[in-house]
Amino acid sequence: MKLTESKADMQGRISAVRGDDHFMNRITAIGITEGTAFQTVRNDKKMPVLIYLRETLISLNRTDAERIEVTAE
Amino acid sequence: MTGSIALLGQPNSGKSTIFNNLTGARQHVGNWAGKTVEKNEGTYTYNGTKYSVTDLPGSYGLSGNSDEEIITTDYIKSGQSDLTVVLVDASQLERSMFMLAEFARLDKPAVLVLNMMDVAKDMGKEVNAEALTKKLGIPVLPFNATDSKDYDKLKSLITDELKTPHRLIVPAPAEQKDVKADSKAKFEWVDALLSDVTQTEQKVYKMSRFDRIMTRPILGKILCIGVVLLAFLVAMLIMIPFMGVGQMIPTILHDPVDELLTGWNVHPWLVSIFSTMLPNVLYFTISMASFVFGVNIVFGFLEETGFLARAAYQFDGLLSKLGLQGKAICPMLMGFGCTIGGACGTRVMDNWGQRMLAMSIVWAIPCASIWSIIPVISGMFFTWWQTLLVCVGILLYVVVTMFVVSKVFSRKLAPQATRSGMIMELPPYHKAHWKHIIKEAFFKAWDIFKRALGTVTLVSILFYVLSFSKDGNVDNSLLYRVGTFIEPVTKFFGMGWQTFMAFVSGAFAKEAVLGTLNAVFMGDNSLMEATFFAKSASTDTALLGTAMSSAISPAEALAFMFATTFNIPCIMALSTTYKESHSLKWTVKVALFYICNALVLSFIVYHIASIFT
Repeated sequence: MKLTESKADMQGRISAVRGDDHFMNRITAIGITEGTAFQTVRNDKKMPVLIYLRETLISLNRTDAERIEVTAE
Repeated sequence: MTGSIALLGQPNSGKSTIFNNLTGARQHVGNWAGKTVEKNEGTYTYNGTKYSVTDLPGSYGLSGNSDEEIITTDYIKSGQSDLTVVLVDASQLERSMFMLAEFARLDKPAVLVLNMMDVAKDMGKEVNAEALTKKLGIPVLPFNATDSKDYDKLKSLITDELKTPHRLIVPAPAEQKDVKADSKAKFEWVDALLSDVTQTEQKVYKMSRFDRIMTRPILGKILCIGVVLLAFLVAMLIMIPFMGVGQMIPTILHDPVDELLTGWNVHPWLVSIFSTMLPNVLYFTISMASFVFGVNIVFGFLEETGFLARAAYQFDGLLSKLGLQGKAICPMLMGFGCTIGGACGTRVMDNWGQRMLAMSIVWAIPCASIWSIIPVISGMFFTWWQTLLVCVGILLYVVVTMFVVSKVFSRKLAPQATRSGMIMELPPYHKAHWKHIIKEAFFKAWDIFKRALGTVTLVSILFYVLSFSKDGNVDNSLLYRVGTFIEPVTKFFGMGWQTFMAFVSGAFAKEAVLGTLNAVFMGDNSLMEATFFAKSASTDTALLGTAMSSAISPAEALAFMFATTFNIPCIMALSTTYKESHSLKWTVKVALFYICNALVLSFIVYHIASIFT
C-alpha cells in the first residue's frame, strides 16, 4: 500500500520508493530507504504524514508520501 | 601559525550552536560567491593562536545537486580548510552518520563530534566512542553543547589535529550508479560501523501527550497561533525597559544641545538636526534593536525547543500555496505585531530565497501601528460599520497582495525546480540553552543597531531637508512645493498633496501619519516635529476629523488608507530586511513593487469609491 493509506501506529517496512534523482536524493538522505523498518505515527487528512524511522520522527508532505510503498508487519 | 576549520553537519545537528559558541561575536555573514546561500565565517583564539571557522550550509546529504550540497562538496574538496569537524546527533546516530558516509568519499582530514550525548543518555543510549575511533581512524569526541568544558576539549582536539591530522581509515562506501543503491550502500556502511558501537532498534514510538495535542490538525494550529502571539507579547515585554531608556534620550538631549549650539551661533537648521532629529533617530534605532533582541530571544527559544518544527508541520500545506515552507508561519504571525519582528524572524528559514520571499510577503501584513491609525482615520469619514468594512476590505486585500507578491517574486526566489515538499524531522523537545540564546540575540541586536543607525540617519536627513521650513509653516517646506507641484500626478492616483504627504511620511514611520495629517490640515506643528515626535504630539482627532472631512472627499480618504496600509512598511522594517537579506538589490526591488502596488491600489479604490459617493 501507499504510505498515505497506512493507519496511525502501523508498524511496517518501506518496500519501494519512486521518483526522480532529485527526490530520491532528498528522501534517502533523511533515511527513507527500501527495507527500512518504520512506524506510521500520524496520518490525518490534508496533513503531512508523520512517521518514525531510524530513531527519528519525520514529517513528509502528502505528494511525496504518495510515492512511497510500504508493507505492514 | 593559524588554522582553518570547517563545520559539517545535518540540520538540527547543533551546528549553529557550536559555531556561535566557538566564535562569539567574531562573525562575518556573507554569501557564497555567485550563490544566494548564506556564508557564515568566524574566528576564535585558543592559546594565543587564531583559528578561522567556516560554517558549511546544512543539508542532509552531499550527493544531491542543491546549491548547499554543491558548495559544501566543492569547499571541502578545495582543501581551503585544514580540518573538517563532522557533527552527528548521538541520539539519532544511525541516521545522522549518513553525513559521514558522504564525507568519507572526499577523503580529507577530519574529527567526528558526537553531539547531544546528554539527549542520548536520557534515552538510555550508549555510544562507545573509543571503539568508533578505532574503526574510523579519526578522533571521536562525545559532546554536549551546553557544557562549556566540552568546548575546551574540542578546541584542544582541533589544535592537536591541525598538527597531526588524521583521515578515515575505513574505505568509503563503494559508489553506485543509481541513487537508490548508492544511499543503500551508505547506510550499510554506517550499519557496519555502528554494529558494536551502539544499538539501534526500532521500538514502538509513543508520542508525548503534548506532542499528540500539538500535531492535531485543528487544535494544533490554534495552539501554534496562540504560542506565537504570546511570543510576540514576551518580545514586547523584553523591549519595554530598553525603549523606556531610549525614549528619554530626545527629552534629555534636546534642551542642552539646543542651548549649546545656539550659543555657538550655529545655524538653526543645523541646530534642530542635532537637537531634534539625531536624538530621535537614536531613540528609534534603540527601540528597533531592542525589539529585535526580544524577537530573537523568543524565536531562539521556540527553535531550540523544537516548537518551530511542529508549527512548520501544521502550516506547510497552507503556505506551500505561496511558495513558502511551513516554518514561515511564525514570522508571518509576528508581522501582525511588527514588520521588523517578522523580517528578523525569517532567520529560521532554511535558505536565502525562502527567507527573502518570506520577508517580502511579511511586508504585506499590516502591523499593529497600521491597525491603530486606520480606525481613527476611517472614523472621521465613516460610521462604525463602514469602518468595520474598511478593516475587512484591508484584510482581504492582504491575502490578495500575498499571492501577487508570491507570483511576482517566487519565480526567482523559490523556483519550481527547487521547491521541494516538506521532508523534515521533528526533533525531540529539547531544553533551551538560555545563555546561548541570549548571547546570540544580543549580537544580532547590536549588529542591527550599528547598521540601522546609518540607514535611518541618512533617510531622516533626507526627510528633514524636505520637510524643513524656517517658520515652521508647512507651506514653506520643500515637501509642500514638491507636493503641490506634482499634485496633478498624485491626484491621478486619488491623493491630493496633503494626503500624499501623509502617505510619504507613512513610509517613514506609520506612527507619523496622524501627526503629519495634523500638520498639513491644521498647520499646528511643523511637519518635521510631526514626524519625529509622532508619539508625543497630541492630536485632537475630533478637530482633525472636522478639518479633514471638509477638505477631502471620503473617496480620497479611502484611497489614502489603502495606499498607506499597503505601501512599504517603514524605514526601520526596510533596513531590517536589508540587514537580514544582505541584498540591497532585492530590498529595493521589493520596495519599488510595494510603492507601485500602493499607488495602483489608491487609483483603483479612489475611482471605484467615487462612483458611489
